[in-house]
Amino acid sequence: MEVAHLQRRFIDLTTTLFQQGILDNQFIQLQQLQDESNPNFVHEVVSLFFQDSEKLLNELSRILDHQIVDFKIVDAHVHQFKGSSASIGAQRIKDVCIAFRSCCEENNRDGCIRCLQQVKQEYCLVKSNLEDLFRLEKQILAAGGSIPTMQ
Amino acid sequence: MAEGAHQTSSAAMRPSEMLFKKLHNFINCRESRTSTLPQRRITHEAAEEEELSYQTTGCLSSYYSIFVARLAIMVMLAILIGMLTMLTWHFTRVYTTKSINSLAYGLRYELLQRPILRMWNILNSTVELTMAQVKLSEYVIGHYDKPSAQEQVELYQMMKDVTWALFASRRALDAITISYRNGFVQAFHRDHLSNNTFYIYSELVSEGEAQGGRIHKSRDRNASAIWYRERLNPVTGEKEGDRRQIPPDDLITIAGLPEVRDGAASWHVAVSKFTDSPLLSAALPVRHPTGGSLMAAVGVTTALKSVGQLMKELVDYHSGYMYLTSLEGYVLATSTDAPLLRNTTTGRKLMMATDLEDHITRAGAEWLQRANGNKFPINHEVHAENVLLGNQRYYIDSFFLNLKRLPLVGVIIIPRKYIMGDVDQIGFTTLVILISASICILAIGCVCILILTSGVSKAMKLKAQLISHLDARRRAEASSNYKSQFLANMSHELRTPMAAVIGLLDILIYDNCLTNEQFATLTQIRKCSTALLRLLNNILDLSKVESGKLVLEEAEFDLGRELEGLVDMFSVQCIDHNVETILDLSDDMPKVVRGDSARIVQIFTNLISNSIKFTSEGHIILRGWCESSNCSRQPEGSKDQKMSQCAPRNKLKQNESILKKEYQKNDRITLWFEVEDTGCGIDPSKWESVFESFEQADPSTTRTHGGTGLGLCIVRNLVNKMGGEIKVAKKDGQGTLMQLYLVLGMPEDGNVNSFQTEFGKYSLKVLLALHGRQSRFVMTQWLRGKGVFTWEASEWNGLTQILRQVFQENMECATSESLNMSRMRVVHRETNLHKMGGSDILIVVDTALLDQSTNIWNQQLIFLEQYCGKAKFAWVLSHNTSNAIKVELRRRGHFLMISKPLYKTKMIHILDAVVNEVNFKNQNGRNLLNSTMDEDLHESHELDSIHFDAISSDDSDASNLDKQNSKMNTFSSEEEIIERMPESHQPNSNSRKMSTQRVSLDKIIKNPNISLAMENSLNMSEDFIEIDKHGNKSMDYSTSIVTDQNPLEGLHILLVEDNQILQRVATAMLEKKGAKVTTAGDGMQAVDAIKCMLCAEEIKRQNSSHKGGVAGLSELQTYPSFNLVLMDCQMPKLDGYEATKAIRNLEAGTGLHIPIIAVTAHAMSSDEAKCLDVGMDAYLTKPIDSKLMVSTVLSLTQRDV
Repeated sequence: MEVAHLQRRFIDLTTTLFQQGILDNQFIQLQQLQDESNPNFVHEVVSLFFQDSEKLLNELSRILDHQIVDFKIVDAHVHQFKGSSASIGAQRIKDVCIAFRSCCEENNRDGCIRCLQQVKQEYCLVKSNLEDLFRLEKQILAAGGSIPTMQ
Repeated sequence: MAEGAHQTSSAAMRPSEMLFKKLHNFINCRESRTSTLPQRRITHEAAEEEELSYQTTGCLSSYYSIFVARLAIMVMLAILIGMLTMLTWHFTRVYTTKSINSLAYGLRYELLQRPILRMWNILNSTVELTMAQVKLSEYVIGHYDKPSAQEQVELYQMMKDVTWALFASRRALDAITISYRNGFVQAFHRDHLSNNTFYIYSELVSEGEAQGGRIHKSRDRNASAIWYRERLNPVTGEKEGDRRQIPPDDLITIAGLPEVRDGAASWHVAVSKFTDSPLLSAALPVRHPTGGSLMAAVGVTTALKSVGQLMKELVDYHSGYMYLTSLEGYVLATSTDAPLLRNTTTGRKLMMATDLEDHITRAGAEWLQRANGNKFPINHEVHAENVLLGNQRYYIDSFFLNLKRLPLVGVIIIPRKYIMGDVDQIGFTTLVILISASICILAIGCVCILILTSGVSKAMKLKAQLISHLDARRRAEASSNYKSQFLANMSHELRTPMAAVIGLLDILIYDNCLTNEQFATLTQIRKCSTALLRLLNNILDLSKVESGKLVLEEAEFDLGRELEGLVDMFSVQCIDHNVETILDLSDDMPKVVRGDSARIVQIFTNLISNSIKFTSEGHIILRGWCESSNCSRQPEGSKDQKMSQCAPRNKLKQNESILKKEYQKNDRITLWFEVEDTGCGIDPSKWESVFESFEQADPSTTRTHGGTGLGLCIVRNLVNKMGGEIKVAKKDGQGTLMQLYLVLGMPEDGNVNSFQTEFGKYSLKVLLALHGRQSRFVMTQWLRGKGVFTWEASEWNGLTQILRQVFQENMECATSESLNMSRMRVVHRETNLHKMGGSDILIVVDTALLDQSTNIWNQQLIFLEQYCGKAKFAWVLSHNTSNAIKVELRRRGHFLMISKPLYKTKMIHILDAVVNEVNFKNQNGRNLLNSTMDEDLHESHELDSIHFDAISSDDSDASNLDKQNSKMNTFSSEEEIIERMPESHQPNSNSRKMSTQRVSLDKIIKNPNISLAMENSLNMSEDFIEIDKHGNKSMDYSTSIVTDQNPLEGLHILLVEDNQILQRVATAMLEKKGAKVTTAGDGMQAVDAIKCMLCAEEIKRQNSSHKGGVAGLSELQTYPSFNLVLMDCQMPKLDGYEATKAIRNLEAGTGLHIPIIAVTAHAMSSDEAKCLDVGMDAYLTKPIDSKLMVSTVLSLTQRDV
């Protein structure tokens, strides 16, 4: 009973995430890549993403705090961020990153700062959601159930 | 401007009329414009309509402004001319008038002054005379104080004498009277009418009664008093006549005592019946000198006639009229002869001026009376200058002479004409002339303005239109620019989903659990998607070219190879259409040129696909030659020309070395190309417009042929970008002939020579048994040019006939007559026939000649078998040649097979192979080596028909298609793949390198192949002839089946990715598919890894060549040997492009080519092109789609394993 409940919650959460566009198919691909040989693959990747992202976001905030901004560096960072977010399927972050990069190309500092805020928000959203997801996963596993697969 | 001409012809046209015309025209113009509007509205878009109305309003407003400007100029001109006229008139006329007037005033004043002075004189003299008379009288009377009767008589006598003296002294005097107190009157009187002088005296009737105060009475009692008159001698005063009593009526006016009672002189104007003129009479009292008592009254009467006469004289001289009146208005003197007195019942009386007979004077007087309101104020003078009296104009002036007793008014009336004379008239005529002149000038000026402004207005109208057009164009350009920008920016967004769709479709098609129906649908969807992507790419390319973002790259490439690949690709499509595809490149074309290969391929792809679209049967020829200075090869329209040009081409070849130098000198080379087809052709009127965007020669063809009409536009843009031109040329017969030239760079090292083997020296003879007429013809021409003896046959019967003749006669010279039968021809005869007999005869047979509909082809093959020993066979396969034939051919030992189309490079390879084989055989024969092997020698000459890396980014879809084809073919077990799969041989790692795919193919081939190691470079992978040597061992792999589960099993992939997450994900993906993955964090690491690998390879190679033994091998195998590299493009330190370049540099010389797949987040076609240009083999976009990745990896590794 408990397991079924958790599983339903897991599915609900995942579907909402997909519906809201926070995640996309890439995440499913990640999940599919997880198997016996790689039992903790998704979590591993996502943690990597979190580390990487926080580093990048801090770096970006630091750069954009200055009055004079080297947009090339910002662009490179954002590009990286975009790549990593795309890899885990954080679609909305990716979208914001695209806007961010266009701001960079225009050397628009205000736009960049605005985009950075957005990216941070999206990132927090993704992070909290994914953490929820992992917690659920753990609970399910602890309860002895299996992770439902998304198709 | 007919109107203008009309106006000039009638310059005097009134302005209002002109204005009317103008307005009329204007309205007409507007009407016509509005009437045309609705028609256009139907056909044009809303935007254009808006523009039109904008134009109209613009025109309208400009018309208004012109109209206003014209009007303003005209008005100003009118004002100017009017002012000039007025000023001229004013200055010429007014000042003269003024001066004349002032002069005239003086004159008039002077004129009048004189009679007045005369009058004054008369008065004065009268007064003086009166005074003298008075004084004398007083003196005389004083003598006789209290006279006696005697003395009284004496007194009277004395008085008479004195008075006479005075009277005689003044001839102007009319009368002098003395009336005494006692009533006695003495008087002298001149009758001017009769010129008599009288002495008049009264008889003293009663002295006593003649007391003061009775004088009136006595006068009243004139009847009773007796008056006497004596005629006197006017000169002497002697008494001439008798004393005569005169009736009282004839009595002159006698001044009486009462009149002078106050003692002052009295004046009055009197009339007498003796004169016509009024008389001026003055009276003064005579007083006693001592007593002061009134003794007598003296009266003097003077005629005023002299004044009138003076006036008359003056007026005679000056013309005009004058008169003098008293204050009461009675006329005293006039210049006319009119009588001044009138007879009334009561006697003669003075006349008023208004009653004068002379009408001018009377009219003047009446006018004055009107002007002065019938009363003459004192000192009021009138000066009127312009009074119309009768028909003439007059000056009327009145002067006032204020005498104490007798104020006088003088009036002078002078005709204006006399003073002003012609001034008035001249002034008037001047005015008329001036006004008419100015009107003329005004009219002419207006006409001039009209003419001038009509030109200006036309220019303005045009200018306004131009401006509006420019504006519209600017807007259109801006919007087009926005469009281009938008498209360029959208490319990523557009292409990514399309790529995903296609990739997913591929994966779906991959799936083998599909029903046939689903498969067909999917294939259809795939086709549609590909078409959509192609359209998208086209539009993006176009927008890129238009927005100026396209930058052509300069890289060396093998033009011939690219074009061959292209023709290969299209031939498949063409054969379905029953259309021949022929590539005819002249030998003088440089093998390697510098330029943007991708774009050049795109040009020809578009042109050829366009031709194919519209050609239902016949052929499509792509010709290419090189423009040289000594032989300008302009439009090569017909085949006849083509033939005639073969000779110079050969010459060119001989001069090649010279030309080469030339090329080197100027670094650029102009290459001419022609794409000829036998399709429906293009109407000459559309030759230009077909190169426009979205333009098709015949809109109706869109339905049947489809297409967007962008292809040719892109082509032209690209050609122009490359410094060339493209045009549609005139063509004999049906079809289209596109001519273009490109200016390309020459490679720096100048290594342009394409290796040209002189096949002539091998004395080869070639029998071309080809179905396609054109391709056969071209090939024959070429071979003949090479000095190779050629026959042609187009069908089976012809082939057999030639074969029979050639071999039965055993190479004896068959006469051309006999060979000419059945559509075959002896093209060329060599005089020195080779001794080796039939072995140097090459028979190129098109499988299309075999009867494939039934099983007769087997018989035909058996028939050909008899010639096998005598001649070499080369088979031309088409993609639809059935498997059975291929298998059979192979079984029979025909391994020299090429796929259609047959072009020079392939022919050269065939010839090479034949020559080599012949040589080899000869050697074998001589050296007696490996005779057993010779028995089993089966050769499979395989020509890879697909150029993967030759396809540009823009044709990525096409290449995708091909890749997909290959895949599909693989899985649907089509035999054609045999030709596609060059089976590389790597002696040392043989077993490991075998991919499952190949195994499956080998299974199908079922032929033990003997591979012959042959040095070839992978860089020229397409056209090499590879002779594989396969041991029977390869059969061992046949049992393994391709599994979807681990498609990448056995592959070692180097993943270069700086992003850890991506690295992790990609690794997981690849490993899941069975590949072994090594990761590298950046480009540097990747290059290092490849360096190690290459070193290892090198050592291995050396080992194997030196038979270094297996011992060293095992340790070397610990170095990873990568089958493929996945390269991220944007990386720190060394990015993907640089890393790839470095790797390619490392590879240079080793003959290795490790496939590199770019992984990038950019999706622009240029990025893809960039990737491919630096030497990468394929291109994946992030995020990585695992299936797409797998298929790409497979397509690359299969080729190069």
